[in-house]
Amino acid sequence: MKPLKKLPSLVLLFSLFLISRVEWMGAAEKNPQSVQVTIRTILASNKNDEFDAKLKEMEQQLKTLKYRSYRFLKEDSKEIAWRGTQSFEIPGGRSLSVVPQEFQNNRIALKIRLTERDKPLLDTTVTVPNKGNYLYLGGPPHEGGNLVLSISAATQ
Amino acid sequence: MQPSDWDLVKKCKAGELSAFQELVSRYHQKVYMVIIGLLHDREDALEVAQETFFRAYRKINSFQGGSSFYTWIYRIAVNMSIDAQRRRKRNPLDFRESMDEVLEAQNQVAKDPFADVHDRELREKLTKAINDLTPEHKAVIVLRTIEGMSYKDIGEILGCSEGTVMSRLHYARKKLQDKLSAFL
Amino acid sequence: MKDCETIRESIDSWLDGELNPAESELVRAHVSSCSDCSEVRRQLEKLQLALKDELLVEASQIESLLFWREFERRINEKRSWPMELAARCRAFFATPQIAWAVPAVIVLLLAALSLDAVLPWWRFGGGRNNFASVESIDAYGRSVALLRQDETRTTVIWLYEDQEGENEAAEEATKSGPAF
Repeated sequence: MKPLKKLPSLVLLFSLFLISRVEWMGAAEKNPQSVQVTIRTILASNKNDEFDAKLKEMEQQLKTLKYRSYRFLKEDSKEIAWRGTQSFEIPGGRSLSVVPQEFQNNRIALKIRLTERDKPLLDTTVTVPNKGNYLYLGGPPHEGGNLVLSISAATQ
Repeated sequence: MQPSDWDLVKKCKAGELSAFQELVSRYHQKVYMVIIGLLHDREDALEVAQETFFRAYRKINSFQGGSSFYTWIYRIAVNMSIDAQRRRKRNPLDFRESMDEVLEAQNQVAKDPFADVHDRELREKLTKAINDLTPEHKAVIVLRTIEGMSYKDIGEILGCSEGTVMSRLHYARKKLQDKLSAFL
Repeated sequence: MKDCETIRESIDSWLDGELNPAESELVRAHVSSCSDCSEVRRQLEKLQLALKDELLVEASQIESLLFWREFERRINEKRSWPMELAARCRAFFATPQIAWAVPAVIVLLLAALSLDAVLPWWRFGGGRNNFASVESIDAYGRSVALLRQDETRTTVIWLYEDQEGENEAAEEATKSGPAF
């Protein structure tokens, strides 16, 4: 009976301890060790009405692009150190380099550069939710359609 | 004819302080006995007794007469005593001084009308033995002793069943008997 | 006939008047004929009397009028607001329900906020700020469309290439109307 009566106080103490360990309050966060960046390359076109089953989880998002057909081409996943750079090969002689910049409020800031045969096409800095929804980078033409790159990031 | 407790409560709700004074007059000693039985410290007991009536005064409108007034006031007194035991804080200095004045006015050297009837040493040992009980066991012993309350009323005050009151009383008395057998 | 041990369990309830008539008579009859149980009764009665005397001695020191005067002083004196707040908080948090409710709410809140570590689709706050936000874009002269979709929480950066003779199909796709 005695331990049971002390339980509310113990639970309160424990929960206060948990609060002191939680860093979600937005205080300056330590950058995690590295970021796992995943790039999926998709071909969007109007040649047919096929939807690749491998793209099921992003079906809703892709269909807003109003193409009739979506085909999964490849997926690359790389671990990138903070402020380090990794490049991803994109069909059509293109390359996507990604530099994780900052981690704050559970969002990851990425510097992204798309190049075609060393010629810059696009430079952008984005923040994406950690382990959250994808950023879609689209437009480069390929094989009668357009490439769509889904970009996601997760801290390690 | 003396007004009933409930009549006085109704007058209190209407704002008549004199009605509350009558209630205080009826119960302050018994309430104090309950509290001193639990705390065994005069200053703390006086503070808690005052606080008990103060709380009852402030919450008089919430008292709907579902239980008797004395059950209600004893419940407040017991809960506050148990809280006070847990806190073990000293009173603010100014209030302590005023309580000292009260005691001084009373002639601090209390005359003990029972000294020649009962064993003083038994009472000292008894006080210590009671103090060694848990607050819950102290409460049942004290409430039963002061008022000769039924187990049902005690259970109502302490928020437990009659069976629990019975077993706590039995346990507490057994403990006291074992500790004080040489003096009984 | 009950034995002494059983009777002794009930002697104090019998003295308190809490036994039913049949049980009460059983105990009374045994106690009146058993010296050991009679001794237990005597001890319990002496204990009760000693405690009552002790408490009466203490209570006799408290004089009614002075007690009331102190009480009046207390209700007339305005407590400073921090003291009043502290007293109210103490009373509030001391109730058993609140004593449990406060830590329970804190733990539940922490659990809800931590759920996204286990369930990636969970976002506290219902998906606010779940878009990728674009800080800067340089398309080197090409057209860029930045699109967001509320329902699907999609952020798309669409790059329009303007290369003559290349990818007529792509141009058709884009000419067919807004991509969104």
